[in-house]
Amino acid sequence: MTRRLDVVRLWSLAFTLLAGGAVLAMAVYLGVASWPVLRGEGLSFLTGNDWAFRKERFGAAAMLYGTAVVSGIALLLAAPVGIGTALFASEVCPPRLRLAVKLLVELLAGIPSVVYGLLGVVFLRTVMSDLFERLRWDAPSGDTLLTAGVLLAVMVLPTVATLSDDALQSVPSSVRDAARGLGLTRAEAVHGVVLPAAAPGLLSALLLALGRALGETIAVFLVVGRAENRLPDSLFSLAPLVDAGQTLTSKLGGAEPTIALGDPLHTAAILGLGLLLLAVVLALSLGAGALRARLALAQAHRP
Amino acid sequence: MGLLPLLLAATLKINGSTTVNLVAAEAAENLRAEKRMSITVDTQGGSSGGISGIGDGSIDIGMISKPVSQDDRKKYPKVVFTETQIGEDAVAIIVSADVHAGGVKALTKAQLKDIYESKITSWKAVGGPDRRIVFFNKEPGRGTWEVFVHWLYGHPRLAPEVKHPEVGGNEETRTKVAGTKGALSQLSSSWAENQPAVKALGIKAPDGTVIRPTNENIATGKYPMSRPLFLITNGPPKGDARTFVDFVLSPRGQELVRKHGYLRLQDLKRK
Amino acid sequence: MTRRRALDRLFTAAATLSALTAIGVLLGVLGLVVARGFGAISWRFLTEQIRSVGAEGGIFYQAVGTAILVATAAAVALPIAAGTGIGLVVYVPAGRLRRTLEALLHALNGVPSIVFGLVGLAFFFQALGLKKSWLSGGLLLGLMIVPTVAVAFLEKLRAIPAATVEAAVGLGLSRSRLVTSVLLPQASSGLVTGTLLGLSRAAGETAPIMFTAAIFAGATVPHGIVDSPVLALPYHIFVLAQDSFDPRVAEKVWGTAIVLLGIVLALSLGALPLRLKIHEEARRA
Repeated sequence: MTRRLDVVRLWSLAFTLLAGGAVLAMAVYLGVASWPVLRGEGLSFLTGNDWAFRKERFGAAAMLYGTAVVSGIALLLAAPVGIGTALFASEVCPPRLRLAVKLLVELLAGIPSVVYGLLGVVFLRTVMSDLFERLRWDAPSGDTLLTAGVLLAVMVLPTVATLSDDALQSVPSSVRDAARGLGLTRAEAVHGVVLPAAAPGLLSALLLALGRALGETIAVFLVVGRAENRLPDSLFSLAPLVDAGQTLTSKLGGAEPTIALGDPLHTAAILGLGLLLLAVVLALSLGAGALRARLALAQAHRP
Repeated sequence: MGLLPLLLAATLKINGSTTVNLVAAEAAENLRAEKRMSITVDTQGGSSGGISGIGDGSIDIGMISKPVSQDDRKKYPKVVFTETQIGEDAVAIIVSADVHAGGVKALTKAQLKDIYESKITSWKAVGGPDRRIVFFNKEPGRGTWEVFVHWLYGHPRLAPEVKHPEVGGNEETRTKVAGTKGALSQLSSSWAENQPAVKALGIKAPDGTVIRPTNENIATGKYPMSRPLFLITNGPPKGDARTFVDFVLSPRGQELVRKHGYLRLQDLKRK
Repeated sequence: MTRRRALDRLFTAAATLSALTAIGVLLGVLGLVVARGFGAISWRFLTEQIRSVGAEGGIFYQAVGTAILVATAAAVALPIAAGTGIGLVVYVPAGRLRRTLEALLHALNGVPSIVFGLVGLAFFFQALGLKKSWLSGGLLLGLMIVPTVAVAFLEKLRAIPAATVEAAVGLGLSRSRLVTSVLLPQASSGLVTGTLLGLSRAAGETAPIMFTAAIFAGATVPHGIVDSPVLALPYHIFVLAQDSFDPRVAEKVWGTAIVLLGIVLALSLGALPLRLKIHEEARRA
C-alpha cells in the first residue's frame, strides 16, 4: 500500500484547528491592535469615566456600567419567564404539545435583531415614554437603559427557555417517576428533585443568555439613547434607568469605528472595547461550559 | 489573484453627510441610468466619515456639510482636501410640535448655550410649557454639530463636553424629535420645512429681532448658522469623480439641490 | 393535603402563564411586522431597485446582496464545519485536547456579531485593503455560523451506531475511507440541518456586514473582490429604522422586515423535517 498523504486527515485536522483557534486568533488580534491604548490608559480604560476621542481620552466606565445595567435588566425579566416556559414545556405540558411549544419558542429566537430594533424604535420607546409619564417618573424620552433592557429581555427570552429546557430534559425521567411514586405532587417533584438536579444546567443557560445580552448591538443601539459618559453618583441609584445611556455595543455599532480609521490611537481604543466585550463573553461561555460538564458528570454517576 | 481585470473595474465611492446625501444619491441614480457609471453612496459617520474616508483613501468623494477645518487638515497632512461647493444649507434649531405650540418660537444665542450646557433644563424658563428640555445632541462627528458649536463657541475644541443623548443623521434626528415631547435638536433647515411634527425656531438677536431660517435669510447670510454643502476630493476631481461633480454643478444637478430644499449656488446673495 | 394541591396548581398556572407570555410575545412581534408591512409587499417591491433614499422603489438588489452573502457563508462554513466534526470525532484523541477544542467551538458560537464586524473592519477592510467587499462579509458570516453547522453535524455523527463503524472497520476500511464512505454520507443530514439553521441566522445579521460588506445604495451585483460591496436586507432595515419618520419610508421598511423574516423562517423551517427525523431516530436508538 502506498503511503499517500492522508488528505482527509489533513483537511479535517486543519479545519478543526481553524474553528477552534478562531476565537483565540480574534482575541490575540484585538489585543495586539489595541495594546497602545491599553498600555497608555492602563486601568483607567476600564475605570475612567471619560470617553472623548477628540481629546484622546479613553475611559469606558460609563459604557461598562450601561452594559451591566441593560443586561441585568434583560436577565431579570427574561429568567423567570424563560425558566417558567421551560418548566411548562418539560414538566407540565402534554407530550404532544411539547414539540409545538419548543418550535414556537425557537421561532422567536430566529427573529433578527434588526427587526427587534425596528419594533423598539417605532413602538417600544413610545410605550415606555407613555409609561414613564403615567407613573410620573422623570424620564426625558423613551430612549433609556430600561427600554434597552426590556427589548433585550424579549430577545434573550427564547435562549433562556430553550437552554433551560435542555437542562431540565437532561434530568432522567426515572428521577421524576421515583419522586411521583413516593406521592409527591408535580410541583414538589420539580422543586425538590428536578430543579436541584438541573441547577448547573440552568445556571449555564443563564450565563449563556447573559453573554447573548451583553453582545447585542443593533437593537440596543437604536433605543438606548447613546448619551456619553453617564455614571450615577450612587451605584444603586435607579435614576439612570429612566435616562439615556451608552453601552459597549451601542458605541461600537455607531459612527466611531468608521471615523476611527486613519487615526491609529482611536482605532486601537475602539478595538480595545471589542476586546473587552469578547473577553467578558468568553469568560461567561467557558463558565457555562464548565457548569454543563459538571452536570454531565453528575448524570454519569447516577445509577 | 487571477481576477486582476475584474479588480480593476472602478467604482466611484461616495460617503459622508446625510444632508448632502439626498442630492448625491439622486445624482448617482441619474448617472447610473444614463452613463452606466458604477457609483456607491453611503452615509457612515456623517461629515466626519466623509473626511476620514478621503483621509485614508477609502473613498473618492466625500460629502460634507461644513468646511474642512484646520484640525482635519492636520490629521491627514498628506491629503490635499479640495472642496467643491454645490449648494448652501443652514442648521436650524428644531423642537417638537408641542414645544412650538406651547409658545417657544425663537431662542437667543445665550439661551441656546445655557440649554446645551444643561444650565436651563425646563421649557418654562424660556417661555414654554412646564416640561423638561430633552436635548438630542448631534453626534460630534456630524457637520451639523460642528456648525452649531462653531457658532456658539467659535471652535469645536472650545465646546464643553456634554452628556445629552445622541442622534446620528438627519433622519434619526427628525424621527426622535418628532416622537418625543419637549425635544430639541439641530437639523438641516430644509428638513424641517413643512413638517407638522417638528418646527424650526428663529434665532433671537440681542435687540429682539427674530431671524428665521428662511431661504432669503440664508442666502444673504443674515441667518447665523448657514453652512456650505461640499463635495471633497483628494486634489482636484478627476475622471469619474470629475464627471460626478460636474453633473452636480450643472443646471440639472443644481435643480436636484433645489428640489431637496437647499440653496443653489446661484441663489446665494453675498460676496 | 389542600395546601400541597394548591401549590401544585399554582406551579402549573405559573408555568403555563410563562409559556403563554412567551408565545404571546412571539405572535405579537410577528403580527406587528406583518400588519405594518403587508401593504408594501407587491411584485414591484420585490423586483425593483431602491429609489429616493428608500422612500420609493423596491428591494431587489438588497435581496440579491443577502443571497450572495448567504451563499458565500454556506460555501465557507460547510467545509470547515464538516472538517471540524470529522476531526473531533475521528482524529483528535479523546481527552483534554478534544474537550478544549469543543469548548472553543462553543466559545466561537457566543462571540458577539459586532466583534466579527470589528475584526473584519480592522483586518479585511483596512489591513488587507479590501475596503467594503462581499467576500469579507461572506467570510465573516461563514465563520460565525461554523459552530451551528458543526454542532448539528456532530450530533448526527455521534448517533451513528457503533455497529456500523465496527462493521466498516471489520471490512478493512482505512480511516479516511471510513470517513468518506460511511461517516459523511450517514451524517450528511446533520450537515444540511446545521447549514440551514446557520444560514437562517446569517441572513438576518447586520453587525458583521455593516462595516465590511454592505452599503445603503448604489451597489447592484459585485464585479470583483476589492471595493465590491453589496446591498443587504438587514442593513437596509437598520438604516431606514432611523428614518421611520417619513411615512413612505415607514411602510417600505416594514415590508423589508417581512421579506427578511420570511427568508429567515423559511431557512429555519426548511431544517425542520430533517430535524424531526433526527429527533425520531435518536429517540428510537
